[in-house]
Amino acid sequence: MPDHVMNLTVNGRKVKRPLGENYRLLDFLREELHLTGAKEGCGAGECGTCSVFVDGKLVKSCLMPTLKADGATIETVEGLAPLDSLTEVQRAFHKTGASQCGYCIPGMVMAATAALRENPEADFEEIKERLGGNICRCTGYAKIFEAVEIARDVIAGRLPQTALEPDAAAESFIGASVRRIDAPSKVTGRLKYAGDMIMPDMLHMQVLRSPHAHARIVSIDTSEAEALEGVACVITAADVPGEDGFGVFVHDQPIMARGKVRHVGEAVAAVSAESVEIARRALGLIKVEYEELPAVFDPEEAMRPGAPVIHDYAPDNLVKHIPIRKGDVEAGFAEADLIVENTYSTQQIEHAYLEPEAGLAYVDPDGVVTIHSPSQNITHHRHMLAKIINRPINKVRFIMSPVGGGFGGKEDMIYQGMLALAAMKSGRPVRLVFTREESIIASAKRHPARITYRMGLKSDGRITAVSFRMISDGGAYGMSTEGVMRKAAILAFGPYEVPNLKVDTYGIYTNNTPSGAFRSFGAMQTQFATESHLDLCAEKLGLDPFEIRRRNMMKIGSTTHTGQMLETCSMEEVLRVAEEFCRWERGAPTSRGATRSDLGGPDTRKPCTLGARFKMPEAEESKQEVA
Amino acid sequence: MSRYARGRGMAAAWYGIAKTATIDRAGSWVELDDGGTAKVLTGVTEIGEGILTVLAQVAAEELGIRPEQVTIGDNDTSRSPEAAHAGATRQTYMIGNSVALACRNARERLDAEIADHWGVDINLIEAFNGEIWARGTNKRMTMEEAVHICKSRGVVPVGSGSFTAHGTGLDPVNGTGAPWQVYVFGAQVAEVEVDTVTGEVQVLGMWAVHDVGRTINPRGVEGQIEGAIVQGLGQALMEDYQTEKGHTTTPGFSKYILPTALDIPQINSRLVEDRDPKSPLGAKGIGEPALVPTAPAIINAIYDAIGVRITSLPATPEKVLAGLAAKKAASIAAE
Amino acid sequence: MFTYDSYHLPRTLREALELAATLPADGKVIAGGTDIVPYAREGRGGDVHFPVLLDVSKVAEFQGYAIENGRARLNAALPYQAFLEDPVLRENLPCMPGCAIWFADDQIREQATLAGNLVNASPAGDGAPPMMALNAEVELARLSGGEVTTRRLPLGEFITGPGRTVLEPGELVTAVICDALPGYGGSFQKVGQRRSLVISRVCAAALVKLDPTRHVFEDVRLALGGIAPVPLRLHDIEEMLRGKKITRRLVAEASVIPADRVASRTRVEYRRHVVRGFVEAAIEDALVACGAPVPSDRDREEAHA
Ligand SMILES: Cc1cc2nc3c(=O)[nH]c(=O)nc-3n(C[C@H](O)[C@H](O)[C@H](O)COP(=O)(O)OP(=O)(O)OC[C@H]3O[C@@H](n4cnc5c(N)ncnc54)[C@H](O)[C@@H]3O)c2cc1C
Repeated sequence: MPDHVMNLTVNGRKVKRPLGENYRLLDFLREELHLTGAKEGCGAGECGTCSVFVDGKLVKSCLMPTLKADGATIETVEGLAPLDSLTEVQRAFHKTGASQCGYCIPGMVMAATAALRENPEADFEEIKERLGGNICRCTGYAKIFEAVEIARDVIAGRLPQTALEPDAAAESFIGASVRRIDAPSKVTGRLKYAGDMIMPDMLHMQVLRSPHAHARIVSIDTSEAEALEGVACVITAADVPGEDGFGVFVHDQPIMARGKVRHVGEAVAAVSAESVEIARRALGLIKVEYEELPAVFDPEEAMRPGAPVIHDYAPDNLVKHIPIRKGDVEAGFAEADLIVENTYSTQQIEHAYLEPEAGLAYVDPDGVVTIHSPSQNITHHRHMLAKIINRPINKVRFIMSPVGGGFGGKEDMIYQGMLALAAMKSGRPVRLVFTREESIIASAKRHPARITYRMGLKSDGRITAVSFRMISDGGAYGMSTEGVMRKAAILAFGPYEVPNLKVDTYGIYTNNTPSGAFRSFGAMQTQFATESHLDLCAEKLGLDPFEIRRRNMMKIGSTTHTGQMLETCSMEEVLRVAEEFCRWERGAPTSRGATRSDLGGPDTRKPCTLGARFKMPEAEESKQEVA
Repeated sequence: MSRYARGRGMAAAWYGIAKTATIDRAGSWVELDDGGTAKVLTGVTEIGEGILTVLAQVAAEELGIRPEQVTIGDNDTSRSPEAAHAGATRQTYMIGNSVALACRNARERLDAEIADHWGVDINLIEAFNGEIWARGTNKRMTMEEAVHICKSRGVVPVGSGSFTAHGTGLDPVNGTGAPWQVYVFGAQVAEVEVDTVTGEVQVLGMWAVHDVGRTINPRGVEGQIEGAIVQGLGQALMEDYQTEKGHTTTPGFSKYILPTALDIPQINSRLVEDRDPKSPLGAKGIGEPALVPTAPAIINAIYDAIGVRITSLPATPEKVLAGLAAKKAASIAAE
Repeated sequence: MFTYDSYHLPRTLREALELAATLPADGKVIAGGTDIVPYAREGRGGDVHFPVLLDVSKVAEFQGYAIENGRARLNAALPYQAFLEDPVLRENLPCMPGCAIWFADDQIREQATLAGNLVNASPAGDGAPPMMALNAEVELARLSGGEVTTRRLPLGEFITGPGRTVLEPGELVTAVICDALPGYGGSFQKVGQRRSLVISRVCAAALVKLDPTRHVFEDVRLALGGIAPVPLRLHDIEEMLRGKKITRRLVAEASVIPADRVASRTRVEYRRHVVRGFVEAAIEDALVACGAPVPSDRDREEAHA
């Protein structure tokens, strides 16, 4: 099979190449033809980063066995426009700022192109449906839709070509919607992310991961794996020459499990081989003997005396407790006319950046251990890795490759250390590309939270006291938990001046997937509770939601929950603008939705009922009619 | 009762800019290069938020050239100065200001040479969009010429900048401290439609109002708000990473549910500009704060629509229907 | 990881059946591949290696469809997108455009086949309920003694449980044969966790024909998916409505009944509630598709009083 010769037409050129180990069309395009505009975001047809045209139909190339495409005509994002030029769709994406991290963008450009090829007159609803198979995690889709509509109208001649030009420069570049300087490289698929990079003589890494949530590693036998033809090296914790440990606040995580595993999916060993397939086969030959340990999956259980201990240094499983106190809470509650209590919880959330973790490492001719990866914190990673591999800091070099979405999830050094060790051990460049599933089990999540809330208010809506306790599952390693607990606590009560308060946030170790940094770093969880709770109180007091906030909001000169005096504060202005901007109808939040008159304005969309492309216009009209 | 019920809810939020409860710092190097172009080197940049473009705008403005003439170097711990991490809504604030300072430093070198060349006071020198001139005189040339003259006089117009944000640690017992030198405020309103047959919630409209200090790139800011709102919507309604005894039951994108193009509202944003007095640019940040009020605004809107208070995220169709059933049971019991 | 040693792309039915006859036990028939390929992932099948894959998507006899004597013959390689884009299919299978538009996305639908969907026999599969409503049969072929022999089974007998069918080794699905019902109003209801790329928690298909007075149900077809190990046809409710004058109250009454049939192991309360609303909505939408007016909120209230 590997010798089977594929005959294809790709982007207008005849291609005759052996199939090799490229089982899926996506692999063949990327690895054999180096057309890396199509990406593997999920490998399961769920995201659309791999969309290409096969015989004129857009398909997800991760789901297509390569041989199915034998003889076909393929068009990839690289073939849409001649070099140094862009199609209308690409130009429109550039114009509107439709690309952010850019990882979904080649696929999105393909989907947009397909939509307009299938129906050049597609309306807004139909465009959305036709892009429905492509996930974007950065943009919220809005600028993408805008781009497709502009491109449609330019192609149809309803808008002039100049609609695709940048806005003219005004008196200043600050405050101007200058087009993104990285957009052309993204809309054409030319930008190389770490997983797109190759070096001569490069090895491919695969990682053996823990099947247990908590277990002692009795032994690891890598000899059979090492003996497999095509395997260059196998690394384990035993290969770490320096002080093993990384983390954003506490360095409690080894490069690979050391002595025990603390969560399912933790790296235990890694194989570097001539191909991914060989490396995966070798993983199956590594023998790890585990002795399972009692595990704990609930943070409140983990806090109880006698619970299994996850890290020796933290016998109470506490990563961090942050207390904040201000005024006299008991007096504040005593003064209140109304006391409202409730509990809230938020879930663990995956970052789901479309680019799974990937990296490429090598030791350069001067002995500098060099790692390309989409790291959100190359400075700190260099500090930590230098210690771990016991080299002077200037012999460690981190290069931040284009980041295909981060949201905090790429702050943790969860794989760069393995790449460095393998490059040092093999003397060759080594590349590791996570699968989506690997990314999901090995990377940190947004902290889930359980919050107990108590608020005292005067009948005019002024808050007299609040107490707040949050318990958060930090999972198996500390990562950013300390910082998340801190930020969660500081911001917990929102932009309101509260005279008496008591906050406690606890980050707890468990044997779950670790929690870490995620866009808003704890503030989302705590303020979700605060903002829900304020509406509860407003209903009880018969106050409009804006009004209860206005009565408590911070102003210039206010003292924050941590006792800081605010020298500037825009809260009043923000509330004023928001209320006016959305045409808010005042009233207490008593679930009066059915009677509101501010619903359904031109600044809302229609509810999505599918089938825009085959719905008859009359059907829409008759919907309005009352029988 | 109608099958579909609509409602609105709002939520406000605040956020601190840059690293929490510590001093934050970022460094940059700049060179006004041949042809009136520029090189900017700094230790951390793009994760998709658009900071490359923001830095190009800042550098262009400060140097008197155009954004497309600015080249931003790779982020490389061995080739560029430290700028710490890409997070904490610190990119525009920390790195933007450090680049502004570095550019001013480079301009001081250039302006001194040009002022001397023209025989005018250095304070009269201004530059914009590829041209440099002395205010109130007829002296004017392109930046390309200016760089050439500066270099012919033996001076390479380079500059460096380091920007500091002064946060202080928290007291370990009572939490007192000044964790950030700048805060932002925001509010969002959500309009939802709840399908009482299926329990599905569609968010039809979002209005987002955020203080960003000073807008560097309006489209870029909108893009951050739109992206944050859709992540907030995902958390409010569908996303849920689940484990059973430590094993995930949501191992891929078929089980871990993300918002698609058909699940998102119309997003309306408006910016409030309350400039930061403590930094050269006056800009603050938007990346994280825009996500904070979204979920509670949606949850408050669901309550407005159907009288069901969801206190545990996400508000899945199942939870919404269970809430409706509980409400009905309670009202029957009350009768 | 998805790997294979050999991959066959036969062009004729005979060739395909010959290969099917010799397919090893761990070999696999593949059509669109949209179930098989993503199965080979961590958390599902893990690394899956097929010694042989038999791709039937290029078999000449499996292409396209034919409509004859009130029946539609949907050949095995017909992809879902055809139910959206082909005007003849849209007219003859009025519940299928709704099913297709809710199915995965435009790109998956270009590959995914109805036959593959039925063989996969997922309780959440979207193709089975509308096909049950259309009285579908599955045609199977095999080689026996060098001859092509076929058999036909009603869909309800073909699918025997979650992921289970009566398909035997060496057998291929050649076509799905169902009623062609031009003039019927059709609808499809579906709920999952979002609105694109969504797997059904519950789905419902309905077909309605009005008598010449346009006030009486001449025919009604109803089927549900996602609520039991196998798709369900609601014959008793159809019977209850057939020949009756159309009133909102009757529809509302009829839709209360099937909630009891929910036999899923999870989300039972949820599904019971949705089923009731979906049967009603499916009939109402099918009526609207026949040209009946859209019921108002007041109609609904009265019907539910
Ligand atoms: C992103 C995504 C979204 C999806 N969304 C939906 C959805 O909304 N609704 C839904 O119901 N499904 C959905 N699916 C599942 C899948 O697309 C369907 O089940 C599809 O119809 C399967 O058809 P296929 O041709 O791709 O099957 P394949 O994967 O090729 O095969 C499926 C099974 O059928 C067998 N088979 C196929 N053809 C024959 C034949 N002629 N004779 C004998 N056996 C045969 C195969 O051996 C295999 O067992 C989705 C899948 C993905 C990846």
